Amino acid sequence: MSKRPRLMALRLLLAMVCFAASCAYAEPYLAVQTGLKCTQCHVNPTGGGLRGAYGDVFAQTALPATHLDTGADTWTGSLNTFLRVGGDLRTEAEATEVPHSKTISQFSLEQVRTYVEAQVIPERLIVYADEQIAPGGALNREAYVLYWSPGHDWYVKAGQMYLPFGWRLQDQTALILQASGINMTTPDQGVEFGWLKGHWDGQLDVTNGTAGGPVNDSRKQFSSQLSWVESVWRVGVAANYNDKLGGSRGTYGLFGGLRTGPISWLAQGEVIEDKSQGFGLGRSAATLLEGNWLIARGNNLKITFEYLDPDRSVSNNGETRWSAVYELTPIQFVQLRTGVRYYDGIPQVDSQHTRLYFVELHGFF
Amino acid sequence: MAIHWSRPRCVLAAGTLSMAAALLAGCAGNGVGLDANGNPIGLGSSAPSSSSAPAALSADFQSIQDNIFTPICTKCHIGANAPEGLQLDQAHSYALLVGVPSAEVPTTLRVKPGDPTDSYIIQKLQNSPGIVGMQMPYGGPYLAQSTIDVVAQWISNGAPQASSTTNTIASVAHERAQPAPLEVTATMPAEGSVVTAPLVSLAIGFSHEPDTSFLNAAVRLQNITAQPVSVPLLLAQAQGNPATVLLTPVAPLGAGVYRVTVHGGDATAMTAVDGESLPADYSFTFTVEMP
Repeated sequence: MSKRPRLMALRLLLAMVCFAASCAYAEPYLAVQTGLKCTQCHVNPTGGGLRGAYGDVFAQTALPATHLDTGADTWTGSLNTFLRVGGDLRTEAEATEVPHSKTISQFSLEQVRTYVEAQVIPERLIVYADEQIAPGGALNREAYVLYWSPGHDWYVKAGQMYLPFGWRLQDQTALILQASGINMTTPDQGVEFGWLKGHWDGQLDVTNGTAGGPVNDSRKQFSSQLSWVESVWRVGVAANYNDKLGGSRGTYGLFGGLRTGPISWLAQGEVIEDKSQGFGLGRSAATLLEGNWLIARGNNLKITFEYLDPDRSVSNNGETRWSAVYELTPIQFVQLRTGVRYYDGIPQVDSQHTRLYFVELHGFF
Repeated sequence: MAIHWSRPRCVLAAGTLSMAAALLAGCAGNGVGLDANGNPIGLGSSAPSSSSAPAALSADFQSIQDNIFTPICTKCHIGANAPEGLQLDQAHSYALLVGVPSAEVPTTLRVKPGDPTDSYIIQKLQNSPGIVGMQMPYGGPYLAQSTIDVVAQWISNGAPQASSTTNTIASVAHERAQPAPLEVTATMPAEGSVVTAPLVSLAIGFSHEPDTSFLNAAVRLQNITAQPVSVPLLLAQAQGNPATVLLTPVAPLGAGVYRVTVHGGDATAMTAVDGESLPADYSFTFTVEMP
């Protein structure tokens, strides 16, 4: 591609971003805010990880409070026609208070991740890898081959991947992610079929059910979700059934989103029936309601309420968590997040009354 | 961006959020009818596992198992794919903890009897300097210091497997019971697992304390990636945990497929100090991969 058509393509992309007003930043509330599917801004059709060219341009134009002018040099992640890269770095200072215990405060490097996408057949065949390189040793999170249909209305993915189940939140300690066990720390190996036709967005996965580990039997895990996406609301259902050695585990959820003016709402409820070893007949439930108030460009206030019933056969044992997080994106590719997470539970268990305060620096590209 | 609300869409959206609101009707429990660990009061330990009520946390292994390892740690640390090969369910935890080198920092024992400060489990729970990876429990909420102190107290006491009361009962029962054959109760790595190179240390937990004079002849490690090749080993009992045997290859294991065999079934079989021997060969296979 010569310079001129490439510049025109970039301008067209920028125009699309402006038209879409406040498009996706990298979190699911942004999808609700913009009425777009995850695949609009991410290479992964189910969201998270490497941003696509659209997501990269949006991150430089519509996301930050102030756009530092770089002239015609706009980062799109492309090294050449076939290769794109990206990354995330999160480091934070946090203080944890637990009743009857001394407060722990620390600086910590949460994670450094790099993404590589090879479009070996442009727009049709992708080889993708997501590698966590810190803290600790390198850890492969996702690595797959993805084949898109000509109209991008269905795809097949095979390799190691995160499983689809409701909202893929940035906060991996969210109770709905902890309860389901389906999050961005537990990729699994298998295949995924995706269907993104019109307002529909659906996935069906068949995986080992061992969170990426080896297997020594023929049991499998089945994950699926299906959602209907409108410009201001969406609703979906999700199910996961893991036929594990020692007992099955089933997780079933309902999730939705709604935009009311500057506020984007996310909601999810799920029930879990775990008959696996060590849990007996464990029946639990978890819910989440989150509001994101776009106060001004680059300024978002996120209020989240979560509820966990760790054993539905027992009364008076519920746990909750309130979070208030302010997210400031002063310039492109830099985000500051500060917040508090307030756990509440039964008075007998101190750890269920943890208070977590944090300031996080998030750099991404 | 302009928002146009058609009536059916509005009703559907409102319905969806109403359902979400109904799901969110819960609030934190008041703890009435629950014990110090959040389990129902009055249920004996023989009740079904999901609603069993372990006694309040105390500085003995069974209490720590019932109150911490089983309800919290086995969410991840269970099965052949348990992180770092550490299975913390009732059947495996003691054998793989006490006197066993940690996988992340092999120079530090997971539990060093008598020395909680130098025990890796305490360091991981407290997020001490020098640990590799994340503080445990992964992602929090982290254990209260008072809870960690109980685990530390158990280690200070020598990390015994049974309390003194249980020991007495067990010894009386053992005198009355028929001798049981020697069994392998836990291995690290687990059968069929894949671990990351270099692998410095392996462990085998036995049901009885093995007679160390049989170890060198009865335990064999082979690289079976191609033609089986024996791997030289150092064998020793775990510190404070004589029923667990540590296998330390003279050089850390690189990538390959390996098999450990404990000989049984004849006069040269692995034998315990009480004279009981392994009734048949026991072997487990695992794979070491490059990071």
